[in-house]
Amino acid sequence: MDEPLLPPSLAQELSEIGPVDILVGIPSFNNARTIGHVVRAVQAGFAKYFPDQRTLLLNSDGGSTDATQEVVRTTSLADFGTVLAAHPIHGVHRIVTPYHGVPGKGSALRTVFAAAKAVTASACAVVDADLRSITPEWLDLLISPVLRQGFDFVAPLYRRHKYDGTITNSIVYPLTRALYGKRVRQPIGGDFGFSGTLASNFLEHNAWHSDVARFGIDIWMTTTAITSGSRVCQSFLGAKIHDVKDPGVDLSAMLTQVVSSVFTLMENHEPLWRSVRDSEAVPLFGFEHTVGLEPIRVDVGRMLGVFRSGARDLSAIWERILAPETFASVQGLTRAGDDRFRFPADLWVQVIYDFAVAHHKPAMNRDHLLRSLTPLYLGRTASFINETADADAEQVEDVIEGTCQEFESLKAYLVERWNGLQGGES
Amino acid sequence: MSASFSERLLGALNAFFEGVVRFLPGLLAALLILVIGTVVGWLVKVVVRRTLAVARFDHFCDSSGISQVLNKADIRATPSKLMGSLFFWLVFLSFLMAGLSALEVEVIKRLISEFFLYLPRILAAFAILLVGFLLGNFVSRAALLASVNANMPSPRLIAGVVKFLIAILAFAMALEQLEIAKSIVIAAFIISFGAVMLGLAIAFGLGGRDVAKTVLERQLKDLDQPRDRDGFSHI
Repeated sequence: MDEPLLPPSLAQELSEIGPVDILVGIPSFNNARTIGHVVRAVQAGFAKYFPDQRTLLLNSDGGSTDATQEVVRTTSLADFGTVLAAHPIHGVHRIVTPYHGVPGKGSALRTVFAAAKAVTASACAVVDADLRSITPEWLDLLISPVLRQGFDFVAPLYRRHKYDGTITNSIVYPLTRALYGKRVRQPIGGDFGFSGTLASNFLEHNAWHSDVARFGIDIWMTTTAITSGSRVCQSFLGAKIHDVKDPGVDLSAMLTQVVSSVFTLMENHEPLWRSVRDSEAVPLFGFEHTVGLEPIRVDVGRMLGVFRSGARDLSAIWERILAPETFASVQGLTRAGDDRFRFPADLWVQVIYDFAVAHHKPAMNRDHLLRSLTPLYLGRTASFINETADADAEQVEDVIEGTCQEFESLKAYLVERWNGLQGGES
Repeated sequence: MSASFSERLLGALNAFFEGVVRFLPGLLAALLILVIGTVVGWLVKVVVRRTLAVARFDHFCDSSGISQVLNKADIRATPSKLMGSLFFWLVFLSFLMAGLSALEVEVIKRLISEFFLYLPRILAAFAILLVGFLLGNFVSRAALLASVNANMPSPRLIAGVVKFLIAILAFAMALEQLEIAKSIVIAAFIISFGAVMLGLAIAFGLGGRDVAKTVLERQLKDLDQPRDRDGFSHI
């Protein structure tokens, strides 16, 4: 039997609070270092942009063993005047609660959705607890399009370091855009705004025991919003600087969870993506500007070491997943030196499409299948770093746009291989 | 004397014909049982093959590596056909035993009862080997992927050792089930398993001391990293 969506104590607290207009959820797990800043930003955002609305801040915590919960309970903005705001008329309700279900961000957000439904919130937002760059304006940018413009879902648009978000840039954004035809630049950004209606809609889906309950939640929310016909937009939030997602989770597990969610959603929405031909921009809010970002170190040698090890030791697995010509081309890449290493975009797209097809009718355990993608992903990432070593943000965006166009132009290849598979089944 | 000879001859012939008359129904019954066994075996074979085809058993064998092993052993039949044939022979053998018991020969009857008592052990040993094989493939592939993704040295060696250990365990369990030289098998297993583990410990502790140091240093360094291992956020 499923556990109740809301713990009894939380349900009691929510009923005491009564209806609210805006709910902001903060999923957390051991984020004591950063969550205080996030809580202050949310309080200031409420006071500055929604002073006459009834607001609720809900921290959905995964059993932190540091002082996360204590920080949320005790942090408050000392002087609202410093952010040019008065105290909110209704005050800010604040709840700290544990969540039920599979440990992960998805389960934390499920509790937020259930709370939003319970308090009949008109607009909601979720922001990560590890953010260092969140400002009160983020609240306005994530909530106002819902509350004042009638949108259902607000995806974030950040200015990030050119190497940050490589899973987004090389897989999730181009693939989602090619499949569903909407150019949502940060589909797994982590900070979203959405209507109360959409929160209730999210709850009706039965995906809470899959990878959606973990790192897959972000792409699941974005895809569900797009495919349900909701009005989707983006808001420019500025720089995104945050702590490492979860120090306990390795890259391979993270990549597997995200890609598994994307591929599973692909299967669920097959009739829709088959009919989509091109992509279109979605409305954008906020004032775009450039930001300075700290330089970061990259270890291309290590990435290529994993890629070459994969090409040598996982060839038997790749051979069963990739089309013969794709497999041969990938094996041919290993001969280049580190500095000259390139993983062409069209070959990368074929690799991803081959994995999607293999995931649809797996010739092996799906977790093994997706984990064998890690070396290929690191190879593509190393190539991207080499390719954009001297590029500025705009030029990097052009390279990503080129990858997106490859995904769109090779969609026929995906459909052809997908169809071939269905022919083979009969 | 001649009367005695003819009596004896007739007696012997009588005894022979009586024996033949006594044996014939049993023989006919045995032949009939064999014919029925062949027909039933054939029917079972067809049903098993079709059921396995519907259940995509060949696809499962492809994905679990069983087909590759069969190919390496130069067995060209598909796994579902192979299983069909296996069931045919099981049914046929059972009917053969039943047919032989119809002959009412004491030695054969004893052998047959021993065969039927031993049959469950053969099936259990076969199941243990199959599970061991599947588990070995699965775990060794997981070890291979984890080793490659963690950039560890010699991933194939690690995966091979894992597979070998599981195969040894399954083989020893199967032999134990068959009660073949039980004490020797257990002793041999303990000795070989212990030898492998000791060998690995010595190899890693002495021969690979520097490698162990590097691996541990890398792991500890990673724990201290405030950002992702690559210096940027992948997600």
